[in-house]
Amino acid sequence: MIKQTDTSKSPRYDELITDARVHSSLYTDEKVFEDELNRIFRMGWVFICHDSEIPTAGDFVRRNVGREPVFAIRSRDDEISVIVNRCAHRGNIICQEDKGNRKALVCQYHGWAYDTKGALVDVPYPGGFKGDFSCHGLERLPLVDSYQGFVFASFNENAPPLLDHLGRATELIDRAVEMSPVGRIRLSGGWVQHQLNCNWKMLPENDTDGYHVNFVHPSFAQAIRSNYDEAVLDDEESLKSLAKDWGNGHTELFFSPSYTRPLEWFGCAEDRHPAYTKAMLDAYGEQKGGRILRDGPPHAVIFPNLFLGEMNIVRFEPVAPGVCLHVHTPMYLEGVEDDVNRRILRQSEGALGPTAFLLADDCVIAERAQSALQGKGGWLDLSRGAEREVVEDDGVISSHLTDETPNRGFWRHYRRIMQPGSPTSDVGAVA
Amino acid sequence: MISVEDRLEIEAFLFKEARLADESRYSEWEALVDDDMHYWVPLRESQDPDSDQVSLLNDNRTRLATRIRQLNTGVRHAQLPPSRMRRSIANIEIEELGADEYAVGANVVLYEFRRQATKELEVWPARVEYKLRRKDGELKMFRKHIFLLNSEGSVRGLSFII
Ligand code: FES
Ligand SMILES: [Fe+2]
Repeated sequence: MIKQTDTSKSPRYDELITDARVHSSLYTDEKVFEDELNRIFRMGWVFICHDSEIPTAGDFVRRNVGREPVFAIRSRDDEISVIVNRCAHRGNIICQEDKGNRKALVCQYHGWAYDTKGALVDVPYPGGFKGDFSCHGLERLPLVDSYQGFVFASFNENAPPLLDHLGRATELIDRAVEMSPVGRIRLSGGWVQHQLNCNWKMLPENDTDGYHVNFVHPSFAQAIRSNYDEAVLDDEESLKSLAKDWGNGHTELFFSPSYTRPLEWFGCAEDRHPAYTKAMLDAYGEQKGGRILRDGPPHAVIFPNLFLGEMNIVRFEPVAPGVCLHVHTPMYLEGVEDDVNRRILRQSEGALGPTAFLLADDCVIAERAQSALQGKGGWLDLSRGAEREVVEDDGVISSHLTDETPNRGFWRHYRRIMQPGSPTSDVGAVA
Repeated sequence: MISVEDRLEIEAFLFKEARLADESRYSEWEALVDDDMHYWVPLRESQDPDSDQVSLLNDNRTRLATRIRQLNTGVRHAQLPPSRMRRSIANIEIEELGADEYAVGANVVLYEFRRQATKELEVWPARVEYKLRRKDGELKMFRKHIFLLNSEGSVRGLSFII
């Protein structure tokens, strides 16, 4: 069971969050942050890594689940375990490197040795060890599951199945991996950790906010002609992109309706990558393949910490109420020529990270917001477009690109998990 | 060994390049750059710029021109107002590469006051490797590789010329 370490009383989340507004203390309050670490990052499912990051037995990557240090490691039977990065003896770190390969996990402090599933297998000077090996293994996260190679885990053995958490948003992940003719992506490019001095929730909120683009990114629009000109920068009547709430806090900016020709989303002529185009049509057929080539990748947040950022994969990490990390890597495709992945890399460097043409501006705007929310704070309005939303056949709520539909979807789910049993917590929720 | 005159000229170039970057004089800084410029902040200490490894910044001349154009729009929020900055360049070592081309290595510490948002002082220590050439009697820079000490850790917004 999860130890309840809360000392002060939690606020009433159902009073701080309605469908029309949220209170700024949700971005600044220490107690709220502690509750989030417990209720979202320990009790729920969290994205850990993609299995392509640890392709062979013994490969591991270090990660944080909320603030819990963990690592994901592949065993010889191909099982991936997510293990707390802390020795069962006196708590030293087990894996110091960010990634690597280990046949066994040996602690540097006194040499306790574990296998790649965290079971204790050897203790130096065993004469003094009177314990039971089976009781001194590393702490494993009880739930680990994956979808399309995306590995998720939870500290909560009673969490509902991963597929329940993902809900219909599995389709978003499908759309990401189907950018590859063989349906596989590869996260081998390394992760850039961009630190923002703002609350972590501003990342999922801003990454699927279609309203800010004209105001935060005019320098981008003026300096660069891009596919975003039609997708996000037109006037209100001309914008064809949509803002969507997929349920369970998963949200999307759906740019595809703005694209009229293949590879427009890739910022190049449609005949620029003929081998890729052919491979996609061969793999998925003229109809579906043609649609994927025209629609492009998803721009969507999987609650709470995964952003399918078109041809990038992003992790959100909460560090403190006013500090978070936006961590990104290019989403390489398997089964394509190098020049496709090369273009993905160059676009990744242009769009995301500390020096980027786009994210550097979002970062400053978020940090300014964080300073404005200090003190007693006030209410943040989220009502834009509520009256013009439509519920699509599949239950997804869809609205004008500039509407706060994704924000409302995020907060509705947040309220439901932060205030369990709240009578209003399911109002308007899909799934 | 390069001559004392060459060394003085190269140092003067580096100091000017640093001052123009410090003062966010983007177009004047860009005028120091040659057509084949590579401006690069890798993620790792040893990284091949042509590998599949992501960089914090990896600009060829075209992308660098776009970067300068964006900064010059006057609506680049990340540098609105521009960071106040001063950097020191030390341990300068110069190697002559051939006819009028030089490789320069230095340790650089940049202090940045982030007045556009959080108003913190940020410190950016780095190893910087330059390549310069003499062209029509003037030095031009055609490579600036900046190896940040914390590039693999968490990195704050870096929207100025480093
Ligand atoms: S702390 Fe790991 S062996 Fe002692
Ligand atoms: Fe943005």
